[in-house]
Amino acid sequence: MKSRSLLGDAWTRLKRDRFAIFAFTVVFAYTFIALSAKLGWIATPWDQSVGAAYAPPSFHSLQTVFGTDIFGRSVFYKVIHGTRIAMSVGLVSALISVPIGIFFGAIAGYFGGRTDDLVVWFYTTLSSIPNIMLLIAITFVLGKGMAAIYFALGITAWVGLARVIRGEFIKHKTRDYVVAATSLGASHFSRIFKHILPNVSHFVIINFSIQFVSAIKSEVILSFLGLGVQGQPSWGVMIDDAKLELSRGVWWQLAGATTAMFAIVLALNLLGDSLRDALDPKIK
Amino acid sequence: MILSSFSRSGGKPFLSYKTIVITGMCAVLGLGLSGCFSKEKQFKNTLRLATPAKIKGLDPAHSDDMYSGIEVSRAYEGLLQYHYLKRPYELEANLAESMPTISKDGKTYTFKIRKGVLFQDDPCFKTTEGKGRELNASDFVYSWKRLADPKTVSTGWWILDGKLVGLNAWRDEASKSGAADYTQDVEGLRALDAYTLQLKLVSPSAQILYNIAQQFAFAVPHEAVEFYGKELLNHAVGTGPFQLVEFNGASKVIWKKNPTFRQQLYPSEGASGDREAGLLVNAGQPIPFVDGIVTTVFEESQPAWLNFLAQKLDASAIPKDNFNQAISESKGLVEELKAKGIVLHKAPTLDVTHQTFNMADPVVGRNKYLRQALSMSIDRAQIIELFHNGRGISAQTPIPPGVSGYDEAYKNPYVQYDVAKAKELLVKAGFPGGKGLPELEYSTMADTTSRQMSDALAKSFDVLGVKLKVNSYSWPEFQRNIREKKGQIWGMAWGADYPDAENFLQLLYSKNSSPGPNDANYSNAEFDRLYEKSLTLMESPARTILYKKMAQLIVEDCPWIFEMHRLSFGLTQPWLKNYKPHDFDHARAKYYRLSK
Repeated sequence: MKSRSLLGDAWTRLKRDRFAIFAFTVVFAYTFIALSAKLGWIATPWDQSVGAAYAPPSFHSLQTVFGTDIFGRSVFYKVIHGTRIAMSVGLVSALISVPIGIFFGAIAGYFGGRTDDLVVWFYTTLSSIPNIMLLIAITFVLGKGMAAIYFALGITAWVGLARVIRGEFIKHKTRDYVVAATSLGASHFSRIFKHILPNVSHFVIINFSIQFVSAIKSEVILSFLGLGVQGQPSWGVMIDDAKLELSRGVWWQLAGATTAMFAIVLALNLLGDSLRDALDPKIK
Repeated sequence: MILSSFSRSGGKPFLSYKTIVITGMCAVLGLGLSGCFSKEKQFKNTLRLATPAKIKGLDPAHSDDMYSGIEVSRAYEGLLQYHYLKRPYELEANLAESMPTISKDGKTYTFKIRKGVLFQDDPCFKTTEGKGRELNASDFVYSWKRLADPKTVSTGWWILDGKLVGLNAWRDEASKSGAADYTQDVEGLRALDAYTLQLKLVSPSAQILYNIAQQFAFAVPHEAVEFYGKELLNHAVGTGPFQLVEFNGASKVIWKKNPTFRQQLYPSEGASGDREAGLLVNAGQPIPFVDGIVTTVFEESQPAWLNFLAQKLDASAIPKDNFNQAISESKGLVEELKAKGIVLHKAPTLDVTHQTFNMADPVVGRNKYLRQALSMSIDRAQIIELFHNGRGISAQTPIPPGVSGYDEAYKNPYVQYDVAKAKELLVKAGFPGGKGLPELEYSTMADTTSRQMSDALAKSFDVLGVKLKVNSYSWPEFQRNIREKKGQIWGMAWGADYPDAENFLQLLYSKNSSPGPNDANYSNAEFDRLYEKSLTLMESPARTILYKKMAQLIVEDCPWIFEMHRLSFGLTQPWLKNYKPHDFDHARAKYYRLSK
């Protein structure tokens, strides 16, 4: 029987899971929408009035399927641009936090001793600060805008991954293949990144999807609190608007933003679960 | 006072809203209150009102919030009061026999005190076995010295601070010696005889009479202060139309008609339209008409609203969130409430909202045409509609309707929404199509409504090609920035302390620049000259002309983007008569009549 690579094997198993395929499709669709909005292919311009203020949803045109907001702008377009913001925040902040988590987890687990003490102390201290407080403090320091949000979410979200990676490295560093690599004269760098890391990479992939979700949620919360995105449509800003609009019966901004958010968060969670099942070598 | 910029859904913006809420009320709510049934039954003809905040106490010297002020004004009175019906607001004599005679130099005021006015019967009058004695001029000397006494720690001392000759010296003496000497003569505050009070002012002031009409300056008998001490907060011994039955500041205050109240008559003239509105039906009849008042504290607006709908309150404001339930799209009452006979009262509030340009800023402060262009890019009708449920009128000058100097017919050319004209002005300013103009900065608060308002402003400017960057801050940060003259544009609102355009024009007097109330840091020598001149004048056509001239200077220089004067909306039950919204008359419930 022909042996398959880890990823090839995972893909085969993922394909069998219908939920996973559904989740994968949703994530892919969101990515596509976000990219198209970014490139200006769809939903432009979002900031022009397309009707009266607070017009309810109607099917006369695509622009008004989710109704309009206080300035008569299309809620549907705002949801699409909210997707763009959410996906970019999820992606960029996960891209920032994952390497940090890998780096600290790897050196702590691999070297142990003083290095381990120091890294553990550092991330314990960091995680003892309530997350939302830390985010607020960082956005105050960095000012407002997308860059600040990427950065704030990126540098606060790596602790979970670092913990997992550290544990795995402690386990793996005494395994035979690592000992063998050592005796062949492999450097620390080579042992960490060439030998151990590929063997724990499935944790990284799972964590990536989890962090994607938490970054999206954090962005929404920050924007809801008025600390997030400025001058651009964001799901959080839309929910913040809805806070006041609901009492006058305007539910469509809330519905649009939360539905969009619900679908992507659910899909990413399902995907994370399926990935774990597919990638974990133990449940073959 | 400054109103928290724009979000007007929190903080003082509620001046207008709360003023009206006051007129809501309750009768017999729930359990726990059953104890007061018997007391309420004594007088069927009882007014049921609501108040949105706890009543701190009933001592005039400490009644610095409006809600305490209103309760205090049921039992206590001052020399002057506001005419209930006339607009613009006008003072009239109350405990004084007539308006004071003022010396030629404008520094000496002589009041004749009304004869035969009795304090309410109270155990504190020991020598007369509880019978209230007659009010005399020395009661005012005593009450105002008490306001100045550092031991009173009054929050209303500012109304007399630095205004009466010798009173500040008396206060300093008292804080030095540790005990105030009430027998010591103060030159600026003397009772010449039992019915004559003489004030000597440090400098002429047209505003002193408004100060005297505030509740801090009401007459408190020394017997009550001596008898109750600190407990005076829970008692009321004045000359007013109502006598305290029960005081519980956290839940309810019950009043009954004061049997020894002097004869006071309902006004027999009013503003135009009052006769048609049925406000003069009771002209010349003795007041009060009701036998009692029950004020219930509702800290949440929703229960007060529901009680009003259940007819357990005689009047109510309209909570913002219930606005659509009460008001139809044509800004009238919805059919359902109309059918119940409920009456809608709209009244302008003495305030102005505006966007401020920082005149100390090198970009917006030095270019008049730029400011005018930006001002013309704003569709005020839309802003009023979107953010204030249509409750406002577009402001043309800083002077709101209701005070002299307001001119209904006047249209400020730079307040008109005209994009073409705005673009022309922008060319004149040297920035055709916004080219060459750096991104402007807008300071605002981080709440939802402020963000939406900034969005609206940015959209308006964007049409001209002017880019606006929004920086949101917390309220303290926001205020600090302004005090330090940072930032370029921000939103502000001002609510009147007294009905005089001076209270608005002082916002642009150069000597009041930040950290003073002139947050625009506007400075115009001609304006300053006119302002200083107007301070020495009493209410007169000459002064009104000065006010209008000053308003003209501001219109042309455009240090503010004028937005609106807000309207207050209040509702009353069909049986509540003689109700008219009023910004300052806290004692107005004495004019109300119930006809069930």
